[in-house]
Amino acid sequence: MSNKSSVAQMQREPSASRWAKTPFYFNSAEHLLRIERERANTLGELLGAIKTCTDASIFQHTFRTLQEHHFIQEGYSNDFAHWAFFACNENGLAERLSGVDVREFTSIQALRQRLIEILEEYLGQHPIVKDRRALEPFYFCASSSVVVPTAFVARNMAEFAEALERISMHCVHYHFIEARLRLKLNSNDFSMWLEEQMGLKRTAELINRIDIYTSTLQGVRNRIVRIVETALA
Amino acid sequence: MEPQNREQTTALSEEGSNGSDGKRNQPSSVLAPVEAPPRDRRKKPRIRETPPAPPPPPRLDGYEPLIGKAELDELRFLAQGLRGKTVKMVNSTAVGGGVAEILNRLVPLLSELEVATHWDVITGGNDFFEVTKAFHNALHGGAYQLTNDAREIFLLHNEQNRARMRFDEDVIILHDPQPAALIRSKTANHQRWIWRCHIDLSNPNPEVWGFLRPLVEQHDAAIFSSQAFARQLSIPQYLFYPCIDPLSEKNKQLDASFIQQVCDDFGIDRSRPILTQISRFDRLKDPLGVIQAYQLAKKYVDCQLVLAGGSATDDPEGTVVLAEVMEAAGDDPDIIVLNLPPWSGLEINALQSASTIIIQKSLKEGFGLTVTEALWKGKPTIGSAVGGIPNQVIHKLTGALVHSVEGCAYQIRYLLTHPEFAEQLGKNGREHVKENFLITSNVKRWLLLFQIMMGIARQ
Repeated sequence: MSNKSSVAQMQREPSASRWAKTPFYFNSAEHLLRIERERANTLGELLGAIKTCTDASIFQHTFRTLQEHHFIQEGYSNDFAHWAFFACNENGLAERLSGVDVREFTSIQALRQRLIEILEEYLGQHPIVKDRRALEPFYFCASSSVVVPTAFVARNMAEFAEALERISMHCVHYHFIEARLRLKLNSNDFSMWLEEQMGLKRTAELINRIDIYTSTLQGVRNRIVRIVETALA
Repeated sequence: MEPQNREQTTALSEEGSNGSDGKRNQPSSVLAPVEAPPRDRRKKPRIRETPPAPPPPPRLDGYEPLIGKAELDELRFLAQGLRGKTVKMVNSTAVGGGVAEILNRLVPLLSELEVATHWDVITGGNDFFEVTKAFHNALHGGAYQLTNDAREIFLLHNEQNRARMRFDEDVIILHDPQPAALIRSKTANHQRWIWRCHIDLSNPNPEVWGFLRPLVEQHDAAIFSSQAFARQLSIPQYLFYPCIDPLSEKNKQLDASFIQQVCDDFGIDRSRPILTQISRFDRLKDPLGVIQAYQLAKKYVDCQLVLAGGSATDDPEGTVVLAEVMEAAGDDPDIIVLNLPPWSGLEINALQSASTIIIQKSLKEGFGLTVTEALWKGKPTIGSAVGGIPNQVIHKLTGALVHSVEGCAYQIRYLLTHPEFAEQLGKNGREHVKENFLITSNVKRWLLLFQIMMGIARQ
């Protein structure tokens, strides 16, 4: 026990008890689904629609998939991958599409381009499947997002840790996953605040490295809380 | 009304109706079929013969234990921006039917959030409702010859309602085709009109849709229950999943003793696995396919099948289908067929709660709220890949999707012999409903839509 405490002491960063100049205001985002005009009956049509659909559609079928199914830790991580497997029976394509980590992208345009590259490459290698009819169409939807402030505000680490345990999953998604589109950085709101306001660079890095694809969002929240509590200890 | 049941040949045995903790419902003995129990185990019907008085609508705070304070706070924040705004909902019936059921819950909740919401019901004679019923069937793809008389009757009754109603609210929502021509009261001001379509328009009769479409496109937006049900329109379209109320009789948490009592009364043996399909006796729900799947599965695993459906007294085809079901069930004492009246929410809830697996093997389906109810109760659910079921049952994640009798039989066997996997499906299914298909999610969608339509939202 004493060994563990000393390790924690060594890992503890010196600024954990400071007060932030700028508090962390916890927000959430709520999303309303629009049904878009595009729909695809083949993988060729899917490729064409991904090229022309709105950014809000790409966001819905990638970032938002994670939020809508935040309680699942297996399965395909975006709607395109799910459809490629279940409606088109193209497991190889589904795996490649599912391998796209939304956290590597700070713009929808870059994410869209990656999806296009994967589809073009796959259909180039397997031209026979391009026009084969899927079991069911892919209906493009889009997300209209509304930012919702919450009552939670953190001015120090204790308040931050307490709020993290009480905010909604939508709030976690907003700050931890959607944030990079806003920040245009490979980071998230929690890590940015911990580094800039609390001077906790290492804690910020640890949080930013959490794998969102091998856990539920509740699991991700638990890991964030543990890291913050370690810094606070 | 007395539930249907098999002929009694032996006295009721109470041996099978033991324990109220549900633990005996675990499929521990499913690998080897056991000796058939007594032919009829039912003690007495417990169904009320007249409808009970409706319970008062729940208050918002009642949902906090289910969805959490943070979620409720988000609803309250969204509503704050709408204070002082007014909303009107218009449909064609105050009682009976899914739309009235939703509005009976939705309107009080919006009002509690201080979004003043009025609910008006249009009136009409038999001729009007005969026309709108024909429209309804035609929009589902049925054959229909649209006559000038039908057009005139539809428009005349809408005009009469328009003359008697006022439309002073900020947002007017017209539900389904019946009141669609009230849109003629729309004026060029700040007011927003929304058409909420609860029916599947994926394959409408072209004449009827051709008649209604110009009315629909005068609205500012349309709402559908599934992506697949929508049409290409010139106005924005939104997706609002149908929803269940977790505090309603059909979905609230029941006492274990009540569940046990219902099973005892219906002769359901809780010591052995229970497969259940809840749906009216309709060929599109494929009750005969469910019996076949049960019979195939029962070669390998011991189980009982409960088929519980709505009253068939006013539906000639329902009576025929019920007779077919009884014939297919033959003298198998483990097939329990229950023809229940519409006010059997508590009993349906108990049957679902007692089930080991819930099946919805429809050949065609709307959204399939019985699936939502099953998932909410954390039950491993097998559903056909039709209508709105794939929105709810994600194969191997929130349930099992099937396309045939054989597929259904295999999934029954698999889930009964892999209880840990089945339990995980049930947990995921409940979370899926919590996130997407509860009335609180529905309230949130309305608040978001009002904010977006009125330009209030911070996007």
